[in-house]
Amino acid sequence: MKLQARKPFDQSTIPNDLCPIATEYSVLKTGDWRAERPIVDRDKCVKCANCWLYCPTQCIKEKPAWFEANLIICKGCGICAQECPHHAITMIEELED
Amino acid sequence: MDKSYHTIAFYPQKCNGCNDCIEACARINTGEVSPAHSRIAIVKDSEDGSFGLALCRQCGEPRCVMDCPAGALSKNEDTGVIQWEETKCVNCQLCTLACSYAGITYNPVTRKVMKCDMCGGDPACAKVCGRGALEYLTSSDLYDKWGDMEDLFVPGISACLGCNSELLIRHTLRRIGPETVVATPPGCVAGVGSVGVNGFTATKTPVFHPLLTNTASMLAGARRYYNRIGRDITMLAFGGDGGTADVGFQSLSGAAERGEQMIYICIDNEGYMNTGVQRSSTTPYGAWTSTTPVGSVLRGKTQDAKPMPVLMMMHNCAYVATASTAFMEDYYAKLDKAVAAAKHGMAYIHVFSPCPTGWRFPPAMLIEIARKGVETNTVPLWEYINDGNEFHFTHSVDNPLPVQEFLSLIGKYRHLDADQIDHIQKMNKRRIEMLKMFSEQEERRAS
Repeated sequence: MKLQARKPFDQSTIPNDLCPIATEYSVLKTGDWRAERPIVDRDKCVKCANCWLYCPTQCIKEKPAWFEANLIICKGCGICAQECPHHAITMIEELED
Repeated sequence: MDKSYHTIAFYPQKCNGCNDCIEACARINTGEVSPAHSRIAIVKDSEDGSFGLALCRQCGEPRCVMDCPAGALSKNEDTGVIQWEETKCVNCQLCTLACSYAGITYNPVTRKVMKCDMCGGDPACAKVCGRGALEYLTSSDLYDKWGDMEDLFVPGISACLGCNSELLIRHTLRRIGPETVVATPPGCVAGVGSVGVNGFTATKTPVFHPLLTNTASMLAGARRYYNRIGRDITMLAFGGDGGTADVGFQSLSGAAERGEQMIYICIDNEGYMNTGVQRSSTTPYGAWTSTTPVGSVLRGKTQDAKPMPVLMMMHNCAYVATASTAFMEDYYAKLDKAVAAAKHGMAYIHVFSPCPTGWRFPPAMLIEIARKGVETNTVPLWEYINDGNEFHFTHSVDNPLPVQEFLSLIGKYRHLDADQIDHIQKMNKRRIEMLKMFSEQEERRAS
């Protein structure tokens, strides 16, 4: 992955008379919210990237011959399953294990 | 990696079995119209009368290639197309058995197998389909170009399921890049954690949280400072419709009149969603909100929405456009122009932004609703370029779908009666006619 952003702040470079309110990235594992999980049928996936394009959390990851969601982040909104032109994604209920 | 491929999508509910695609396919490949030469087939279900598609899907892990004993089939890593080489083929037809989609078939006339080659990137079947049942999807181009750029928002932010704003800010920042100062006035975008809370931030670029009233004027000041020290930094605002069309309007109007250099993006979810779905001046006629309730007397909002993007065009902004996240390639193209325009003046993009929580619809339907909004002419897509006086539609406004197809998907319109729907339909028509006048005027001036 090409890195675009610089590190948020090197705290030591901040002048004493400036007080930024945030110097670290927040970490929120939104996968905890999920009620339904997207399952990708690898035989049906053609790598058209439609799921990536419309995923609000941008958690779709590329694999050699298919795309799939990063379940640590995926909130389970179901947009990928709705928009997949080849119906390769189905939403299944999350069950407690 | 970072490689994805174009594909042909099929929407069975739009197909009427006219077979135009089959003839077009046969013609472009052999010059004849006989269906025997067509690589595509439309099959009617004898029980429910629906249509099914038999066409090569250019699979990621193709069974036909794995099963071919002669090595005559191979997947092109650049285009994704599965190629068939006639000289290597031994005519065993194992591939036709391997394919679950009837994508490679035996042609009894030529006595050879045949399969779709996507017409080299311009499929004749999708072009000829007048009903939009076959569509050539090129969204993979955006992934190939921008997919390996870093997402400048942290992975997890506390936006609702299916949040259009989250989708929008991630794509926008991916395109515009890190040399940006972002302003997020009070509203959902700030509320989901984009600005710092307790020392933590979700934005990987500098970000600040102006008041609801002064987003544009604060950005104008920041840009003037960067101009003075000689740095080219993009000023980018993500305002809600309240912070843009209501409370923030005076500072935005002033900045637009002065031609301040910035990109102002209005995420129009048609209400104050962050504070509990109150009405705003861009809430459409008839919509339910918590302050325009539905009861025995009041039936949702009684006024029409303020035409905010037209107002900004009247300010002579350098660039004004409307956008919808269902038409992402269009949005990226508009961002390109906005970035260029923001070097010398204000670029304003008004994004139609359905909200699952405030509008009462299932999150999965977000993109479908964003698409139907455009296709019913509720949200016409257009752009205005001051330099050269150009105004044009970027999605056809002719032959729109009936507005019910859009309204029926959304809970906030569930109570509408026939008169109200009629009013919305008429209002849509009137606004299109007004925009067409601009379009014709600009055309006349250009010629």
